[in-house]
Amino acid sequence: MGSQSHPHPHLNGDSNTHIPKKPKLSSLSTSLITEAEIQNEFNHHDPTVARINNGSFGCCPLSIIQSQQQLQLEFLRQPDHFYFSELKPGILKSRILLQRLINAHHLDEISIVDNATTAAAIVLQNIAWSFAEGKFNHGDVAIMLHYAYGAVKKSIEAYVTRAGGHVIEVYLPFPVNSKDEIVFEFRKALEKGKENGKKVRLAVIDHITSMPSVVIPVKELVRICREEGVDQVFVDAAHGIGCTDVDMQDIGADFYTSNLHKWFFCPPSIAFLYCRKSPGCLDLHHPVVSHEYGNGLAVESAWIGTRDYSAQLVVPKVFEFVNRFEGGIEGIKKRNHENVVEMGQMLAKAWETNLGCPPEMCASMIMVGLPACLGISSDSDTLKLRTHLREKFGVEVPIYYRAPKDGEFDVVTGYARISYQVYNKVEDYHKFRDAINQLVGDGFTCALLYN
Amino acid sequence: MASQSHPHLNGDSNTHIPKKPKLSSLSSSFITEAEIQSEFSHHDSTIARINNGSFGCCPSSISSSQQHLQLQFLSQPDHFYFSHLKPGILRSRTLLQSLINAQHLDEISIVDNATTAAAIVLQNIAWSFAEGKFNQGDVAIMLHYAYGAVKKSIEAYLTRAGGHVIEVHLPFPVNSNEEIVFEFRKALEKGKENGRKVRLAVIDHITSMPSVVIPVKELVRICREEGVDQVFVDATHGIGCTDVDMQDIGADFYTSNLHKWFFCPPSIAFLYCRKSSQCLDLHHPVVTHEYGNGLAVESAWIGARDYSAQLVVPRVFEFVDRFEGGIEGIKKRNHENAVKMGQMLAKAWGTNLGCPPEMCASMIMVGLPACLGISNDSDTLKLRTHLREKFGVEVPIYYRAPKDGEVDMVTGYARISYQVYNKVDDYHKFRDAINELVGDGFTCTLLRG
Repeated sequence: MGSQSHPHPHLNGDSNTHIPKKPKLSSLSTSLITEAEIQNEFNHHDPTVARINNGSFGCCPLSIIQSQQQLQLEFLRQPDHFYFSELKPGILKSRILLQRLINAHHLDEISIVDNATTAAAIVLQNIAWSFAEGKFNHGDVAIMLHYAYGAVKKSIEAYVTRAGGHVIEVYLPFPVNSKDEIVFEFRKALEKGKENGKKVRLAVIDHITSMPSVVIPVKELVRICREEGVDQVFVDAAHGIGCTDVDMQDIGADFYTSNLHKWFFCPPSIAFLYCRKSPGCLDLHHPVVSHEYGNGLAVESAWIGTRDYSAQLVVPKVFEFVNRFEGGIEGIKKRNHENVVEMGQMLAKAWETNLGCPPEMCASMIMVGLPACLGISSDSDTLKLRTHLREKFGVEVPIYYRAPKDGEFDVVTGYARISYQVYNKVEDYHKFRDAINQLVGDGFTCALLYN
Repeated sequence: MASQSHPHLNGDSNTHIPKKPKLSSLSSSFITEAEIQSEFSHHDSTIARINNGSFGCCPSSISSSQQHLQLQFLSQPDHFYFSHLKPGILRSRTLLQSLINAQHLDEISIVDNATTAAAIVLQNIAWSFAEGKFNQGDVAIMLHYAYGAVKKSIEAYLTRAGGHVIEVHLPFPVNSNEEIVFEFRKALEKGKENGRKVRLAVIDHITSMPSVVIPVKELVRICREEGVDQVFVDATHGIGCTDVDMQDIGADFYTSNLHKWFFCPPSIAFLYCRKSSQCLDLHHPVVTHEYGNGLAVESAWIGARDYSAQLVVPRVFEFVDRFEGGIEGIKKRNHENAVKMGQMLAKAWGTNLGCPPEMCASMIMVGLPACLGISNDSDTLKLRTHLREKFGVEVPIYYRAPKDGEVDMVTGYARISYQVYNKVDDYHKFRDAINELVGDGFTCTLLRG
């Protein structure tokens, strides 16, 4: 992923051309999606809201929704036939496409699940069994990032701590200035984990942290884990596919999960869990046990009782959609990254604040400091301010509270996580810029939100 | 549940003459025959769909409501998450609490399906073994006819954790509740041998294959008398099929799908957990930031996904109340019709039913002619496919192995279902298909490649 942050000459809210490309009649290539078509695909989005939070819930184009509804209707029309003839081949087709996309060596390595939260439960439940069955010793260690997603932290508590494991958190600085800061803290935590002859059974590493959002140098951390004798590495890439580079051979983790409804245009909800082929991976099970139990995680995950599998079956249509863009998903990623950096820098300049990380440490989301005078002093403030921005200004953006350290005065304590996806326009970020400027101009502070 | 024949039966016991709205009273008119057909006009019309028991059904108006909710989410998901999701699920849970006569709202959790509910209950059992609350070798009892997924779940969580499983062997065909009670007591005694503790009894309210209504209330009472720790009733076929009253049944855990017999879209079920000190320890296996806030709250948020099937429940209650007698009326008529159709088929084929009418709800097992030569599970699948592809009949078939000494017995039973969209022609089509196969000298050996 390049780290260019020069302004895009043709930027007009979306770096895809706003002049429809004429189909090349003389060649076999189909025309690229036009600006108008993109807007059409997302015209179900609430037009009164500057939707600069693709990171939380993602998005789904109308044509995919329609394909999904078609699948849902097919099932309702004759569910037995659908179950016996369409379901398994359909999920297989999706898995094959995903295998190729992420460069996994074996199809068996790809399971489709609801979301990264479910994937985490699968990996961690297996760890719990290892403790319960005496494969691991009490006090053996799991390492996770301090900024790990809330659900994953709880899952580690529910499965690892409860089963007798000891959890060590990697404290990361924020704002962060370089990858080396992260690597340094990670090594420190690993050393702590190995104290007193304990074994580090699992390292859980976010590919891109959620809040605050930063791209973690996973490849390097996985390498360090191997050097330091960590049993297994689980990369939580909730923000993965469509956001950053996802290559299983390159990254080298044992487990890797990514949502597809966040940055890969799938309907809610679908994710994949990659499990590197090894003797250990045979023991993974989906927690919702069906008659497929014991047939391998991919097969188990493809049938977890009667439910709506349409989001998993619509994946081929999503690949078609993505390939209508110039450069496919790689092109989308690149442009999203360039745009989010540009918008982030525009906002930081307008508010005279700073970004949370250098451009090369972000993908399609970036943390932008909010003016200190807003008086963001707690997590509660961030929620209230977010609601205020939604209800009074029509801006949807999550905010992170960054507590001041000892000795810090008058620092930026609030960071907005802005996202950029193909439906966004520069006006969305201007709306946000102006909203904050208005609040600042009005002498607004978060204390006012408490009645 | 009465089994008298219905005088106005014409494929569907709801009146086929549209009721005129009573202008002089405040009551709204009942759903008409035409409206029912319209609600299910998306069903494949070339198929005699007599298998509601497998995947249920969902009326078009409910699908539309669901799509509306899905679009609402996609339009502004953050707002939906912060303002609509929790109140919506709360509303659904409140309606369900009333429906099943649960005393506390906390007791009602909404999950994807009964399979998920089983995983929740059983994972808790596994922890109890792992954490030393239970002793290795402590027992769980389940029915031999327990649903395949539940059996595997018991293996995955209970056996793996060190528990010992005892199956209750039930006769089939079955003639009375007493036969079931007798076998259950036998299994309980076995479970308590050598000072072992019976930690869990898993009892189907209505077994899947072969399908029979189990006298759960009585079995729960026996469990209490015999000192069984906890009872989990798996009522996949529960709501909309049989009577579901938590105070009356008295189980610790009870789960029922709502997409099978309660017109919800795929998929949604509830898990009832009787308020007690132990129920605090249940967790949804997919852990989120809500971990520790109680199962109902945990289940209401298991990560970003489509919760629309759970949110559309109030609309489903409205739909059900358009029928005369509401869900009670639907159940009653479905039962009467299933029995009537079953008896019609058994008579036409010279076979028998798998149980007496009072031991079925809206599904019944009908013996298939012995000359078809159904000799194993594989035959039943192939015959089912043959019926679907060649005759346009959708019906699951059960293989009932002959016992020692039995000759020329019925070895195959079809499980027919009756739901509001069915018509008597559906069952005639099935009757005629089997008669044709018999007349052609068909046997299952012909299907084995």
